Amino acid sequence: MRRGVTATMVVAGILLMIIGYFGAAPWGADTVANSDPRITLAPTLFVLGVIVVFSAAIVYELLPDRERR
Amino acid sequence: MAKYGMVVDLERCQGCRACMEACKVENNTTESMFWMYVFRFEEGTYPDTKMSFLPRPCQHCDNAPCVKVCPVGARYKREDGIVLTDPDRCIGCRYCSLACPYGVNYFNYQKPQDAYYALGIDWEDPDVTSVTGGVVPPYKNPDHDLLYGEEQRRTAGGGHAKGVMEKCTFCVHRVENGMLPACVETCPTNALVFGDVSDPDTPISRYVRAREPWHLLEETGTEPSVMYVGGKPPTLALTEIERPKARV
Amino acid sequence: MATTARGRPALPQGIGRVTPGWWAFFAATLIVLAFGIVAIIRELTAGMVATGMRDVGTAGGATWGLYISMVVYFIGVSFAGITVAALIRIFDIERLRPIARMAELLTIVSLILGAFAILVDLGQPLRGITNLFGFARPQSPFFGTFSLVIAGYLFASIVYLYLGGRRDAALMAKHPGRLQRFHRWWAAGYKDTEAERRRHYQTSFWLALGIIPLLIVAHSTLGFVFGLQVGRPGWYGTLQAPAFVALAGVSGVGHIIVLAAIIRRLLGAQRRITMEAFSWLGRFLMVLLAVYLYFMVVELLTLLYATPEVEKRLSDALLTGTYAPIYWGSVAALVLPMIALMWQALARRWNVGILVASGVLVNLAAIGKRYLVVVPSQTHGTLLPYEVGSYSPSWVEYGVVLGLFALGALLVGLFIKSFPVLPLEAEEEVSVDA
Repeated sequence: MRRGVTATMVVAGILLMIIGYFGAAPWGADTVANSDPRITLAPTLFVLGVIVVFSAAIVYELLPDRERR
Repeated sequence: MAKYGMVVDLERCQGCRACMEACKVENNTTESMFWMYVFRFEEGTYPDTKMSFLPRPCQHCDNAPCVKVCPVGARYKREDGIVLTDPDRCIGCRYCSLACPYGVNYFNYQKPQDAYYALGIDWEDPDVTSVTGGVVPPYKNPDHDLLYGEEQRRTAGGGHAKGVMEKCTFCVHRVENGMLPACVETCPTNALVFGDVSDPDTPISRYVRAREPWHLLEETGTEPSVMYVGGKPPTLALTEIERPKARV
Repeated sequence: MATTARGRPALPQGIGRVTPGWWAFFAATLIVLAFGIVAIIRELTAGMVATGMRDVGTAGGATWGLYISMVVYFIGVSFAGITVAALIRIFDIERLRPIARMAELLTIVSLILGAFAILVDLGQPLRGITNLFGFARPQSPFFGTFSLVIAGYLFASIVYLYLGGRRDAALMAKHPGRLQRFHRWWAAGYKDTEAERRRHYQTSFWLALGIIPLLIVAHSTLGFVFGLQVGRPGWYGTLQAPAFVALAGVSGVGHIIVLAAIIRRLLGAQRRITMEAFSWLGRFLMVLLAVYLYFMVVELLTLLYATPEVEKRLSDALLTGTYAPIYWGSVAALVLPMIALMWQALARRWNVGILVASGVLVNLAAIGKRYLVVVPSQTHGTLLPYEVGSYSPSWVEYGVVLGLFALGALLVGLFIKSFPVLPLEAEEEVSVDA
């Protein structure tokens, strides 16, 4: 349970970072005309991804044990 | 799609700086800004000296370092080759100005209203109004407030707002309406040629075919849209005759 | 153990007890901070004309100046925290454990200062925040500074400090007082069971492991801000990024030595922060300093041997011209500590006074070297034959930078007064339980 949630958060965070990175960078885009990100607020997604990954450590330590609930 | 370019014929340029003046009038730039700048060089020691001139607009590079480094995409390149600044997007980090090897970027260090020419003049004075017809500067070219290009950004005239970067726009507001940039239009010796380089029948394409154009600072790999013919690339041995005296 | 006026047992390490000396310290930092705020307000109202910065080229100035030098410096200092943590976790250097928390604190504070220094350098600070979230471009070297340094590195360091402090927070929370609620919040139900300890050991190891690559990337990214620019002589080069990491290490470790010595004296913790800890830091600083000096010599040789025309103008300005005093001053402030550290290492006798002096000197040198990276390439490094420019910071810039230092001192002081900056020890726990 604890490990599962933490691992999910790390994976989700890394996924968010990848989406955010490629959403913000028009690598491979066929036009140089516009330098806007492909996905709205993609840089925020990237930052969110970084935050989610490191928040996983807090979750891992702070998640209450199952017995106590 | 048109691909705009400019040819500067150094054999024709006589260093009159009318282009600088025209740019200032057209784009209402403040005192210290020279979107178009003409170097006046002196070479050698007296009496064996030689003068030469070098107009330096923004080079509108195809591999523009300023576009690459802009952290928010305020500086961007249009498909027709014009490199523009979106003053509503610019955060004022001035990174573009450092990435540019040509030094064409000008930053609004203060409110443009505080940096215009002739600030001390009493515009209500009858002697003055007889000349100005009652117009009180800063005069603002109304075309600057319109949106341009596919991406519809307010890019003409550089925005003129405190804390953002601006530079030569190839007079995008004129070019989109079928006119030439102000500097080209004004040049009395036709040293500046502007047009579509992708169309082989334009005057600029014929110019490029007939002469051997070179680029400024070719070694930096910026692939400029501005080409030079005649003369030779400047070296650091050249010294400017005078330095622009401008108050920032 | 001492008790407070109201008869409660005093908290360990003088927490929550603000003596007249501390009041004076807080007042002094607030006054300097107020001066900095006045300077910022001046800059915001008048525009950046209030600074000494001007356009590169026809205006003959430097458009990045003291602010960016300080951004690079502050973010460099942040090297300290995670490095010390990593030394403890990965190389098992137990003697450094008492220093870990103050090193993490130093990292967080210096990153906050770095972020503020970026903001004051922007012409449109508010837009700087909103537009970066909306439109930041990974192609710009600034993306790394924004996302990795500010978001990732700062956040990760805060997580590290938070989790590492939970045990002490739980101990402090047993203690009645104004700060009890804060300590209870921080502890977040920590019971110090065997399972919790094991779990914390695991997370701190993985966090340290995860943050180290982030640290290298974050400091390299700052190097790339400069190192990727072909159009600016003196900036373009593959050595920029590694040299930035090395100098970050020098300034960060130098800074932690100074801070550790101050806290050692303040809390009378000569027994906790042992001379062995200082000798570790001293040797570590020596190694980093050696690496950086090597980079510097390599750079200098390349500059002097090949020397294209523009680079010549730049190297003349650095070595014999306008910037020579700063250049040679910085070199001296790097070489002297190197000699002192080597002498101490060979003699196997370490002196805190000399170490602190070395720490201060290398930090001055770091500021000087950052300044010399940022400024001369603009005033003397134009590729077109513009006239040579000049730059000198205005009072506004000095004021803002002083204000930033004051803010940093204030944050560190507030932390020391509200949380055990040294991890609690067995006997301090006893006094809390009493």
